[in-house]
Amino acid sequence: MKFHKKSFYKIKLCIVVIFFCNQLIAQKQEKLDAFSIAIKEKLDLNKSSSFFYKAGMFFLNKEWDSVLVYTARHRNLDKNQNKLKDYNHYLRGYSFKQKLLLKEAKKEYKTISSNFKFSNLVTFRLAQVALEENKFEVAISYLNSIINLPDSQYIYLNKGDVLQNLGVCYLHLKAFDKAEPYLLDFMHYQEKAKDTLGIIAAYGNLANFYYEQYKDNLAIPYFEKAYLLSKSTNDFKKRNNASLNMAVVEENRKDFKKALQYRKEYEKWHDSLNDQNKIYEVAKLEKLFAVKQKQKEVSLLKIENKAKIIERNGLLYSALTLLILLGVTFYFYNEKIKSNKIIMAQKEGLDELNATKDKLFSIISHDLRSSVNALKSSNTKLLDNLEEKNLEALDGLLQNNSAIVNSAYSLLDNLLHWALLQTKQSYFEIEALRLFFIVEQMAYNYKPLMLDKSIDFNNKVLKKDIVLVDQESLKIILRNLLDNAIKFSKPNGKIKIYTTYTTDNFCDLVIEDSGLGMSKNTQNSLLENTIIVSKKENKDIIGTGLGLQLCKSLIQKNNGKLAIESELGKGTKMIVSLPKTTLNG
Amino acid sequence: MDKVNVLIIEDTPAESNRLIKVLEANNYNVVAVATTFKDGLNFFYNQLIDIIIIDIFLNGNADGISFAETISLNPNGSKPFVFLTSSTDRKIFERAKLTQPFSYLMKPFNELEILYALEMALEKFYEQPDTFLGDQENTVVSKDYLFIKKGKSLKKVQLSQIIFIEVEEKYCNIITEKEKFVILISLTKILKLLDQSVFSRTHRNYIVNTAKIVEIVPADNLIVLSGNHKALLSDTYKSILKTIPTLK
Repeated sequence: MKFHKKSFYKIKLCIVVIFFCNQLIAQKQEKLDAFSIAIKEKLDLNKSSSFFYKAGMFFLNKEWDSVLVYTARHRNLDKNQNKLKDYNHYLRGYSFKQKLLLKEAKKEYKTISSNFKFSNLVTFRLAQVALEENKFEVAISYLNSIINLPDSQYIYLNKGDVLQNLGVCYLHLKAFDKAEPYLLDFMHYQEKAKDTLGIIAAYGNLANFYYEQYKDNLAIPYFEKAYLLSKSTNDFKKRNNASLNMAVVEENRKDFKKALQYRKEYEKWHDSLNDQNKIYEVAKLEKLFAVKQKQKEVSLLKIENKAKIIERNGLLYSALTLLILLGVTFYFYNEKIKSNKIIMAQKEGLDELNATKDKLFSIISHDLRSSVNALKSSNTKLLDNLEEKNLEALDGLLQNNSAIVNSAYSLLDNLLHWALLQTKQSYFEIEALRLFFIVEQMAYNYKPLMLDKSIDFNNKVLKKDIVLVDQESLKIILRNLLDNAIKFSKPNGKIKIYTTYTTDNFCDLVIEDSGLGMSKNTQNSLLENTIIVSKKENKDIIGTGLGLQLCKSLIQKNNGKLAIESELGKGTKMIVSLPKTTLNG
Repeated sequence: MDKVNVLIIEDTPAESNRLIKVLEANNYNVVAVATTFKDGLNFFYNQLIDIIIIDIFLNGNADGISFAETISLNPNGSKPFVFLTSSTDRKIFERAKLTQPFSYLMKPFNELEILYALEMALEKFYEQPDTFLGDQENTVVSKDYLFIKKGKSLKKVQLSQIIFIEVEEKYCNIITEKEKFVILISLTKILKLLDQSVFSRTHRNYIVNTAKIVEIVPADNLIVLSGNHKALLSDTYKSILKTIPTLK
């Protein structure tokens, strides 16, 4: 019997330890909530010290290794901040404890200063460590120091834990008389707190306590109570333990039938515990599988997404390219239309010019032909007269010939200068010139002609009249204007050349004749920018208009202006405005 | 007064004959007519030439420009010249223009145009613009000669033959050994242009050729010059005595 009891004792001890451990976990979970709120607040206040903050976050997430790493960093980082230092040590101590590094845990706890906000909690933690190390006396001394604190100090600490731990300690020391009140207190405390699991634990503790002392009468009701209570919970482990305890109890009472029943129940719970574990595992696997499946789906979706993005980008790019292509095509099309328009306009202009040129060409050739023809017939007459030795007629004929040749020459000269002007091959240099001399030189050529027509010519240009022109241009202009003036003058007419100053910076050179004059229409058409061939007004005096056109172009090239003042029958004033020098004004 | 010596470089006889006719009618002395570049240089270096008329195209080449370029190489030996051309071709002109000073005459030309071109060439060459053409003056001064416009034409007087110049307002009386005439030129201009080592001012109105001084009579403020001409010497210009040591 004694032997039997001994082996039974071992079983009982094992039960106690299981109860005790469960108890601890439950207590911890409950109490941590109160503490973790305090820690969280602390963390929120200290976000700036990042290591501590991280350590705290890991602490709340129960990742102990990370807590140790960051608290170590924090400790190395700043050694001055006392308050955080205590927190830091606490976090480290707690984490070491969780890693079952009891010595380190103890060391950390002990370095926490006594005025730490949670110093009672620290004391309790030290007691726990001592308990783990089986140093029951030490644990008891720690626990005793906090057992009698007023309720206000138990904010972060469960009084039940303290009571239970004290009881357990005494139990281990076999000081049953000291253990009993604590265990009873614990039971009452838990009953008051209405914590079913706690009550079961308390009953279990008491039952074991009595059973240890072979006070079976006292023990069994507690076992039964624990068993009954455990039935109302879902905690398989608790039920398992309670059933096993009952089975052992019944076995010892030799009530094997009941014992077998309990044993079966125990096995059932054990199995369901296992089942549950299996279920958990299966669930875990399923979950893993589901997660994998989800992951696959997600990656599939991602790939699909990628494909879609690529497709969309492709579409976008092709649309853009098309748009650009369209734009470019449109632009070139537009350009083509524009250039076509320009080409058309140019073509029209060219056609017009060509027509004018053809007309000019025909008139010039006609003029030259008639000149040469006149010369031919004149020469025949000349020869005839020479044969007859009619010398007086010879003179007149020669004069006539010379006049014809002169006019033909000036026509050709104009033609040449016109061509040179168009191709811009001619030498052109603007310089200061004294108008008087150029007028004199040009008039010199026409002296015989004017004498012949008895025209009174007067060069009234002053020697000090200086203009800025190209000399050859000026000569051509003067030659043509004089030619015209003589051509359109009646015999005994007057030609006068003089200067006036009507506008700043310009010298107006006026070639005035007392000739036929011209109508406003003719004047305007002469000033227009096209070669207009007029034969209507003066049928016997043919002009191509080339000379005046050349004059206009040259005047323009010399930065001058041409104006005409004329009255039919009274005469014409051709006014050439030329830039003058600022010197000698 | 002497005639101005002209050298004509022209390969077309008809043209050169016309030129000679016009020039001689206006009292110019045509020294020679060269028809080639080489002839031209020969005449230029062996005759006394005052001005040259150069046809740009000699036998189809622009040798006329080469001639001008050649004589321009030595600025001291160069003389005024006029280009004669029948075309206003720009390329030719651009090249001809490089021979400064540049004057040209376009064919066909009349008498007035030739004379005008010659006057312009002289003015440009001796850098005395607006002398013949303006109203104020009629004389261009070169190193050795005075070129004076007389009527339509030009005459020249060798500076070394001038005994003295008497200034009368805008006019200057030029007295040479043979003759006496009036030119239009300002005193300041003629003083600036004459060789200071030869011509000296002796009085407000007198410029004297120091080489012609025969005797200076300071007491009477008189300078006796060759040909028994007399010029005045005023106190202001008595320093002349120091600069003419040989005639003490």
